Amino acid sequence: MATTQAISGGQSRRRRQLSDAALLRLFIFPTLILIILMNIFPLFYSLYLSFTDYSAITRQAPNWVGFKNYSDLLSDKQMWIYFANSGRYALLSVGLQTLVGFGLALLLNEKFKGSGFLTTLILVPMMLSPAVVGLFWKLIYHPSSGIFNYIVTFGHPTAIPDILASPKLALWGIIIVDVWMWSPFVMLLCLSGLGAIPDYIYEAAAIDRASWWRQFWRITLPQVAPLLMIAVLFRTIEAFKAFDVVMPMTAGGPGEATELIALNLYRQAFGGQWRTGRASALAYIILIIVIGISNVYIRFLNKIRGD
Amino acid sequence: MATIELRQVEKKFGDLHAVKPMDLTVHDGEFVVLLGPSGCGKTTTLRMISGLESVTGGQILIDGRDVTWAHPSERNIAFVFQFFALYPHMTAWQNIAFPLQSQGESRAAVKQRVAEVASLLRINHLLHLRPGALSGGDKQRVALARALVRHPAAFLMDEPIGALDADARETMRAEIKRLHLLEHATTVYVTHDQVEAMAMGDRIVVMSEALVQQIGTPAEVYHKPANLFVARFIGSPGMNLVTGHYANGVVHLSENSRYLLSPEWNQALQRELGGEGKVILGFRSEAGVIVEDGPLAAEVFTSDLHGAYNMLNLSLNDDLVHIRVPRGIRYPMGATVRFNIDAEMVRFFNPRTEAAITRRVR
Ligand SMILES: Nc1ncnc2c1ncn2[C@@H]1O[C@H](COP(=O)(O)OP(=O)(O)OP(=O)(O)O)[C@@H](O)[C@H]1O
Ligand SMILES: [Mg+2]
Repeated sequence: MATTQAISGGQSRRRRQLSDAALLRLFIFPTLILIILMNIFPLFYSLYLSFTDYSAITRQAPNWVGFKNYSDLLSDKQMWIYFANSGRYALLSVGLQTLVGFGLALLLNEKFKGSGFLTTLILVPMMLSPAVVGLFWKLIYHPSSGIFNYIVTFGHPTAIPDILASPKLALWGIIIVDVWMWSPFVMLLCLSGLGAIPDYIYEAAAIDRASWWRQFWRITLPQVAPLLMIAVLFRTIEAFKAFDVVMPMTAGGPGEATELIALNLYRQAFGGQWRTGRASALAYIILIIVIGISNVYIRFLNKIRGD
Repeated sequence: MATIELRQVEKKFGDLHAVKPMDLTVHDGEFVVLLGPSGCGKTTTLRMISGLESVTGGQILIDGRDVTWAHPSERNIAFVFQFFALYPHMTAWQNIAFPLQSQGESRAAVKQRVAEVASLLRINHLLHLRPGALSGGDKQRVALARALVRHPAAFLMDEPIGALDADARETMRAEIKRLHLLEHATTVYVTHDQVEAMAMGDRIVVMSEALVQQIGTPAEVYHKPANLFVARFIGSPGMNLVTGHYANGVVHLSENSRYLLSPEWNQALQRELGGEGKVILGFRSEAGVIVEDGPLAAEVFTSDLHGAYNMLNLSLNDDLVHIRVPRGIRYPMGATVRFNIDAEMVRFFNPRTEAAITRRVR
C-alpha cells in the first residue's frame, strides 16, 4: 500500500514537471519530422526532378532541362492514349459504382432480417488487398476454367472471347472488378447519408401527398447528394491512380487497351531506362488533373449544399 | 371542409395502451383541442387521424368515408408538426409549393396560390430563405402556409407553438385562431397547455393516461368537470377540493364548517352515497365569497398579489383552498376567515369513483 503510493506519487511528480507546452511539442515533433521526411521532402524533390533528365539507375547528377519533360509528354501521341484510357476508365467505373452503390444503399436502408449481416458481407471486397483481388479476378476471368465466362454465357464459356485478352473488352474487365470492389464504399457513405434523413421529412411528404418517385427525387436524392458527391470525388481520384489491381490482371494489355496513366507512370519510372525525371513530370501532370477535377466537384458540392 | 369521426379508436404499442378506445366527433369547421399531460396519448391520437400511425382497433371516418386504413395522402388532411418538419434543403417558397406540385398543379396556379398564402401569413419577404435561416416563429408560419396552401379537408396540429418562446407563442396563437376563423377549417389541435386550450378550443377533449376524461366546451370542462382529474387539471389554480362527510343534508368539512345543501344537491348526494358517506366538495376560486357569518371557516395561510385581484390561500382541514378577493383587502396570516360558496358553482365528487355527482336537471 505504502509502496504503491510512493510510486504513483513519484510518477505524478515527474509528470507535473513536464509543462503542457512541452508535452505538446513532444507529441507533435515526431509526427512533424515524419511528415517532412515522407511527404514534404519527396514532393518538392520530385518537383525538382521533373525539370531534370535524372535517371535513378545511372550514377549521374540530375541536369536541369526546364520544361522539356512536360512538353515532351504533352506532345507524345502515345501519352494521350493513356490519358484517354484513364478518363474512360474513371468515367465508367465511377459512374457504375455510384449507381450500384446507391442502389445497394437504398435496399439496405430498409431494415429487414439479416440486413446488418448482409451489409457486412457486401463490405468484404473493399477490405481485400488489391493485388490479391487482381490475381483472383484473373482466375475468375480465365476463359476456360474461370467462372465469369461460364456464368454470363449460361454454361458455354467459349461462346465469348477471353475478356482480358480482348482489346475491346479488357477495359470493361477491369472496370467490373473496380465496381465490384468499391461499390461497397459508395454504399457505405450513402447509407450513412440515408440514415441521417429524419423520418419526419417523409411523414411530411406523405401528408403532402408526394408520390414515391417524387419523394426520391425531391427529398432522398438531395439529402444524400453531399455524401454521394464525396464518394464520387474519392473514387475519381482513386481511378486516376488505379494501378495495383490492374497490374496483376492485364499489366496494361492486350496491346495498350488497359494501359492506364498510372500504369504507364510506373513503367516510365521503374521500367527500361528508369526515366525518373520524365516520370516525375508525368506524376505532376496527373496531380494537376486530379486537383482540377476535385475543384470542379467541390464547387458543385458547395452549390448543391446551398447558401 | 369536413367532419372527423372516431369510433372506439385505440392504439397499443405492444402491451402499452397509448390510447384506450375513444369516441369523438369533430364537426364541420369546429376547432377541437386535445388536452392532457405529457404521455397521455394526444400525439398518438392525432397521428392515427392523419394515418401516420395505424390503429389497433376502431374506425376513423372523414366526411363519412371510412379511412381507417387509408394512406395519409388519401385523407386530404394537413398536419402541422411540433418541430415544423420543413424540408431543410428547400427554400420557404419550395416548401410551401411542394404539396401543390405533388398534386400536379400548373406552374401559374402554384405561383399564385403560394403568393396568396404567403401574404395571408405575412411571410412574402422570407420566401427565398431556407428553414435554417428562419426564426422559430417564421418556421412555423411557413409550416402553416404549407398546410394551408392545398385547402385540405381538415387541419391536424401537434403542439404547433410548443417549441416557440413565450412572445412568439402569444402571437402565433392569435394568428392560428384568425386563420381558423378565416378559413373556417375543421381543426384538431394538440396541446398540454390548458390556458391555450381554453383560449382556442370550441371544444376540449381532456385526456389522461390514454383515456378520454371529458369532452366539452371550455366552459363545461371549467365549470362542470366530469371527474377529479379534470377539476384539478383545468384552470390555474385548479378547482378547490375539500373532503367532508355527508349526512342529513349537510356536508361537515371541519369542526366549525358545515355546508348546508340545497334540496337538489341533497337528493343527488343521498342517491349517490346512499344515506351518508365521504364526499369531496369542489368550487372555483372565484366562487368563494368572504362573509362575516359564512358557513365555512378556514385559516389564512398566505395571500398572493395578482394585479387585478388577490389570491387568498386558506387551509381547511388538510386541504389548501384558494379564494379570489378584491385587491386591497388584507388578511393577517393565521387569522380565521369565514366564507360562503356561490350556490350555483358548488360541485361534488364521489371520492371512491372520482366522478362528479350530478343533480337532476330541472
Ligand atoms: N412509436 C412508439 N412506440 C412505443 N411507444 C410509443 C410510441 N409512440 C408513443 N408511445 C407511447 O405512447 C404513449 C403516448 O404517447 P404520445 O406521444 O401520444 O403522448 P403525448 O400525449 O403526445 O405526450 P407529449 O405531451 O409528451 O407529446 C407514451 O407513453 C409513449 O411513450
Ligand atoms: Mg405529443
